[in-house]
Amino acid sequence: MKLAVTVKDLRKTYRQPRRRTGAFGGLRGLLQPEYTELAAVAGVSFDIRAGERLAIIGPNGAGKSTTLKMLSGVLEPTGGAADVLGFTPCRERRALAYRIGVVFGQRSQLWPELPARDSFALLQRIYDQPDELFGRRLGELSERFGVAGLLDQPPGRMSLGQRMRCEIVGSLLHGPALLFLDEPTIGLDVTAKAAIRDFIREQSAREGQTVVLTSHDARDIELVCERVIVINAGRIVLDEATEGLRRRFLARKLVTVRSVAPELTVEMTGVTRRPSEPHTTVLEVDTARARVEAVVAAALAHGGIDDVSVEDPPMEEVVHEIYASLDG
Amino acid sequence: MRSTPLWTAEAARPAWTREALADLRAAASAFRLGLTGAFAAWPALVGRVAFYAVCLMVLGAFWAKVGAARLPGTLAARLPASGLAPYIGVTEWIVISTVAVQLRFEDEVRSGVLEARLLRPRSWALLLIAEAAGGTAARMIAIAPAALALLLVADVWPGVEAVVRTVLLAIGGVVLALLAYALVGLSAFWVRRVLPAALIVQKLMFLLGGLFAPISLYRGWLHTLAVASPFAGQLGFPGQAILGMSWADFARALAAQVAWTIVLAAIVALVCRAGVAKTLREGAS
Repeated sequence: MKLAVTVKDLRKTYRQPRRRTGAFGGLRGLLQPEYTELAAVAGVSFDIRAGERLAIIGPNGAGKSTTLKMLSGVLEPTGGAADVLGFTPCRERRALAYRIGVVFGQRSQLWPELPARDSFALLQRIYDQPDELFGRRLGELSERFGVAGLLDQPPGRMSLGQRMRCEIVGSLLHGPALLFLDEPTIGLDVTAKAAIRDFIREQSAREGQTVVLTSHDARDIELVCERVIVINAGRIVLDEATEGLRRRFLARKLVTVRSVAPELTVEMTGVTRRPSEPHTTVLEVDTARARVEAVVAAALAHGGIDDVSVEDPPMEEVVHEIYASLDG
Repeated sequence: MRSTPLWTAEAARPAWTREALADLRAAASAFRLGLTGAFAAWPALVGRVAFYAVCLMVLGAFWAKVGAARLPGTLAARLPASGLAPYIGVTEWIVISTVAVQLRFEDEVRSGVLEARLLRPRSWALLLIAEAAGGTAARMIAIAPAALALLLVADVWPGVEAVVRTVLLAIGGVVLALLAYALVGLSAFWVRRVLPAALIVQKLMFLLGGLFAPISLYRGWLHTLAVASPFAGQLGFPGQAILGMSWADFARALAAQVAWTIVLAAIVALVCRAGVAKTLREGAS
């Protein structure tokens, strides 16, 4: 079994200067600085097989982004060791950069006012790609991700979904063996999210790329990844196949119904009503026991419905549940 | 004889040469992107040209009044016969054309975008400066016709040689200005807000560079300080070139620009390295 990533007891402790109060607090802080230490990652160990699609999830501040940064070489660990594609990320950042692709859902690597093609041309030079290879890759990827017709448009004038597809194309142009995706579907509508998930899964399966994904959207994890690592307070609390996690923790949907009537009752097996405000009913559906469309149909049958939405429970809740199960 | 494909020849080079060449190609591409981007935002360029024209009208009229007085014993008595409009035309050309790259540095350091940039195998600072240089070149090209028109309309055409010398020194001047602003921008690693430092450097540039009057008019310690500073190379020398400069003075001015470019580039590289090391150690904001 070939490993793409090996992590052993990786740690990161941030040292922050403590702010002093009082009129001369600033001066005292300068002369006698005091520091607070915060363990963002408190010793994590795991391996990732080449070609595997792994999700790292956890609530905000759990340490997943810090782990990703240490693996990609933009943050030095305080302790432990990481080997990514045969490189030590913090020491060989520049060499590693040729082998990894990174997509940040909230940060663009494209120039918003210039045609995407111009941004890609700069990326070609940044990654020192020969013209022929680059042209072939751009042609294939833009067809595969459905952006061939968008290359002459500035990303600033694209929809969020189109822009994200261009971002992913940009991150793949140098043929990375490992792809880090940080919240790749954040802010996208349902259709765009589904398209991005399909593209990532197909791309990885076709090229054998290893994918490491972080997301707050449980569907990203379910539909893209084969394995999930749950991090909380800087430690791994769960590391298992997505299938097992899906059966145990992701088999629930939340159906929110806004109605003219202050309250709405749906009596079905596998459906429980959550505490909610008047005119808003939140139904928790155990998808192993009840079908979501049946629940929505039953709610609509009451009449006087203003709005219906179907969502996954928040990631914080899923992690909390995982925690509770571990304690039990 | 069959020619060797480029990539094969490159593969035979030592690794550091390949990397240096790749850095240069990436910088050239970033320069092109900056140039294209500035031309794509053409309304902003038109506004900049209009601003340049207004500055010249106001400052030209001011120095014309001062020059007309020719009061003995004052600075006005030492003004060149052609007036200072051509000189200010050059210094303002440089100042108005230079992209405020310090703001890009500040933004990328403070917003944490820097981390995404560090995931690339090329120097983040080099690409930012190259892109700003492209934008600066676009502005210089856009403003140049207005500057040439001024020389013709004011009937102070200095000759082709003087124009060539001026353009060459102006290019050196904007390189120095971009490096000085980059240095200011890199202070964001430690001070977070670069505006105070930018204002100080800008005022020094205006005074010691001679934005409004040639530093050759300065006397005593101020003149010595101005000539010894990098700011003379940014504004003073290019401005002086349009008023008349021998080839020997031109060579000296160019040598000073090259020397200061090497010094400032080395400082930028060192400060950038220290800032990036801090980010890798402590994380971005």
